[in-house]
Amino acid sequence: MKRNMSKNMGILGAVLLGLIIILAVAGPALVPYNPTEQSGLPLQAPGGQHLLGTNDMGQDIMAELVEGARISLTIGIVSAFIATLIGTVLGLISGYGLGWLDALIMRVVDVSMTLPFLPLMIVVGVYMGPSLFTQIAVITLVMWAGKAREIRSQVLSLRSRGPVLAARSMGAGHLYVLRKHVFPSVVPLMIPQFVRAVNTSIMLESSLSFLGLGDPLSKSWGSILFYANARSAFLTDAWLWWVLPPGLCIVVTVLAFSFIGYWLEERVSPRLRAYTGAFSKLASGRFGKTKKPNPIAVRQPDGASAEVLRVEGLSVQFPQPAGTVRAVEAVSFTLRRGEVLGIVGESGSGKTTIAAAVMQLLKPPAEISGSICFDGKNLAQLSPVEMNELRGSRIALIPQAAMNALNPVMTIKSQLAEAMVSHRSIGKAEVLQRVSEVLGQVGLDPKWGDAYPHELSGGMKQRVVIAMALINGPDLIIADEPTTGLDVLVQTEIIKLLDDLQQRLGLAMIFISHDLPVVLRLADRILIMKQGEMVDEVTAEALTASTVHPYTRRLMDSIPRLRAKKAASVSSLTEAEAGGGSYVRI
Amino acid sequence: MSEFDRQQSELGDTDLLQVRNVDKTYPSGAGSGKGKVLDGISFDIRSNETVGLVGVSGAGKSTVGRILAGLEQPDGGSIRFEGHEVLALKGRQKKLALMPLQMIFQDPYESLSPRMTIEQLVSEPLVIQKVDGKDKQARRERVREALAEVSLSPDKYMSRYPHELSGGERQRVGLARAFICRPRLIVADEPTSMLDPSLRLELLELMNGLRRRHGTSYLFITHDIALTRHFCDRMLVLDQGSIVESGSTEQVIDRPEHPFTQRLIQALLELNRF
Repeated sequence: MKRNMSKNMGILGAVLLGLIIILAVAGPALVPYNPTEQSGLPLQAPGGQHLLGTNDMGQDIMAELVEGARISLTIGIVSAFIATLIGTVLGLISGYGLGWLDALIMRVVDVSMTLPFLPLMIVVGVYMGPSLFTQIAVITLVMWAGKAREIRSQVLSLRSRGPVLAARSMGAGHLYVLRKHVFPSVVPLMIPQFVRAVNTSIMLESSLSFLGLGDPLSKSWGSILFYANARSAFLTDAWLWWVLPPGLCIVVTVLAFSFIGYWLEERVSPRLRAYTGAFSKLASGRFGKTKKPNPIAVRQPDGASAEVLRVEGLSVQFPQPAGTVRAVEAVSFTLRRGEVLGIVGESGSGKTTIAAAVMQLLKPPAEISGSICFDGKNLAQLSPVEMNELRGSRIALIPQAAMNALNPVMTIKSQLAEAMVSHRSIGKAEVLQRVSEVLGQVGLDPKWGDAYPHELSGGMKQRVVIAMALINGPDLIIADEPTTGLDVLVQTEIIKLLDDLQQRLGLAMIFISHDLPVVLRLADRILIMKQGEMVDEVTAEALTASTVHPYTRRLMDSIPRLRAKKAASVSSLTEAEAGGGSYVRI
Repeated sequence: MSEFDRQQSELGDTDLLQVRNVDKTYPSGAGSGKGKVLDGISFDIRSNETVGLVGVSGAGKSTVGRILAGLEQPDGGSIRFEGHEVLALKGRQKKLALMPLQMIFQDPYESLSPRMTIEQLVSEPLVIQKVDGKDKQARRERVREALAEVSLSPDKYMSRYPHELSGGERQRVGLARAFICRPRLIVADEPTSMLDPSLRLELLELMNGLRRRHGTSYLFITHDIALTRHFCDRMLVLDQGSIVESGSTEQVIDRPEHPFTQRLIQALLELNRF
């Protein structure tokens, strides 16, 4: 939808630019007058021999516009090209090169970015004499530094990326890395940079000429305006044909380049491409499958009063051009107070989508069906305000990789306080007391409240995230992969902490992970998800004793065991044994 | 005899890689004072041997891998690979000497350039090393061979781009581009940690198969001791920049001597108790 719009803008820009180029190229053939010669009476109105009339010296305005288009486009394109080229070369050298070279180039960039443009123009103009060349030189001088800085920051980030590291580990030299990996990544950025630079330089040239700082003898659009203004075009009707046309030309050209730039930027934006790429991958895997009824009978709760969450027939679909992606299909479960439900599945199985659906965080185009009842209330029927009140206070989500998303410029204490104050108005003393209380609960000394996230280790940050979820005393906590990315020692600590908190506070918890052993350690019941469907629902004991469902068995089998206690029963895996490594299968 | 090579005499094989007293200090930032990343690391890897390098995050595991792959220079020490003193070599000589040492990266999504086809990606080491420079056909043949080695059908995959592949397939491409150099040693930095559990074992089995056919050695960097048990012959335990324990995997896992190793194993047993 948005893409189409930007494409249309691109087409419109190309058409407008095409008109200006036709004016510049074919103009002299179409207009029979020389813009510097008197060809008619002064201030002749449009019509007849002079399509757009004449100025006070009897020069044909149309001929002036043609000349102006040539000058504006030449200055715009040439100075943008030189500025982008210099900027790219210096940006590459500076971003990739040695320390002192980078420092030197960047200081030069800093200096030239602080140059006052107008005085510079006057000084250089006086020194070099006004000419097309002077204007190009000055405009380039003003623009290259910004380009160099932008390209440099791109190169800096590319330098430590995977493909560059991989090539270097294969023994690639700097020239190879620059040529094959850095430069191709920078080129797509240069094109929109160049288009924007054309725009800027046309604007600069016009404003300079209008102020009388350009070449007084040239007939650029800006200088037409300068003369029109200086020779009182506004006192008569002459402004209609003397001022409006060059003004419109400037507007149309700048708009044309802006539209094209916008479209190009949209096209080369890597994030946008990654976005569509991810979805096409999903779509190719799974669209068009028929919806099957949930094969697992819904468990009826014995005591409905203790029921915290009931999800029935939850389906989530994402309509895509290639077909509908079914992210979650007919999933049902209930969760009672003090119970831990594990949701296990591989990537793309819909685990996180379930969490987002329960939190009511899915936005259109997602299509959600089925019901989600929290504490007897159907969440889909709550108003956004009511849902906001529940979210974060009675239902808390620990999102994936939340520990890396702590605000780096806020202390732990103020981030925790913020999570609390956003839900109710209470006194400062009370907030601080609660903050230290929760920090204590997650096993952190309250003195860490004054620390910033970068001062904490991964495990401590994860504790802070858990504290944030606890601070409003929720009934239900949804933890999405809370141990992923942590090493074994820290994982164990976090699991112990969650286990302890859950029992002490009697929380209901949904624990989402791709790591079956971790879930087994905590959960009472486990849902096994595969490609959006719930393929199995088992208790932890049943799972370890005897696994029935083939997919669940496969998941169990893929866990490497530390103690090879059942090594004797390995039978199916003759191939792997020969090499000295063997995987234990149950 | 130092602790780390208490078994060396039994195996007696020629050493493929000898690392001696390697130090690395990062300029300490933000006043944390933890500048020293590696403190006199020494270990050996023999041919046709898989060695696990185990430690928690921040122990310096990845730094060891990066130094071996030539991505970082150590402050001191010596690294001998196939008899060459690697740190003393420069330029073209270093390139040639290190060609049989390849690396597999942790993140299969990050390490493959999105602009290159699988064929270009797999042949990249040949391009860099200028192998078969003129002979496009020979190069293509090698790519086909390497892809077949990692069980990716060459016809199906050669002209594809990384974003069309799953994480497991991308990691195989990573393995294929390491393998096209006919390596004697592959440094694998957490190659399975971004993969789903079922794909993890698949990749390890694949790596084992390559070892069986070609006698390649691996340095397998991981935080998961349980994986080393089923994949590695020997194990090095790294804690805060020092190797605190080493030995055969069974020996270390069943009878850990250093308190840190004991803690690590205890934690894992606790996590997987069922």
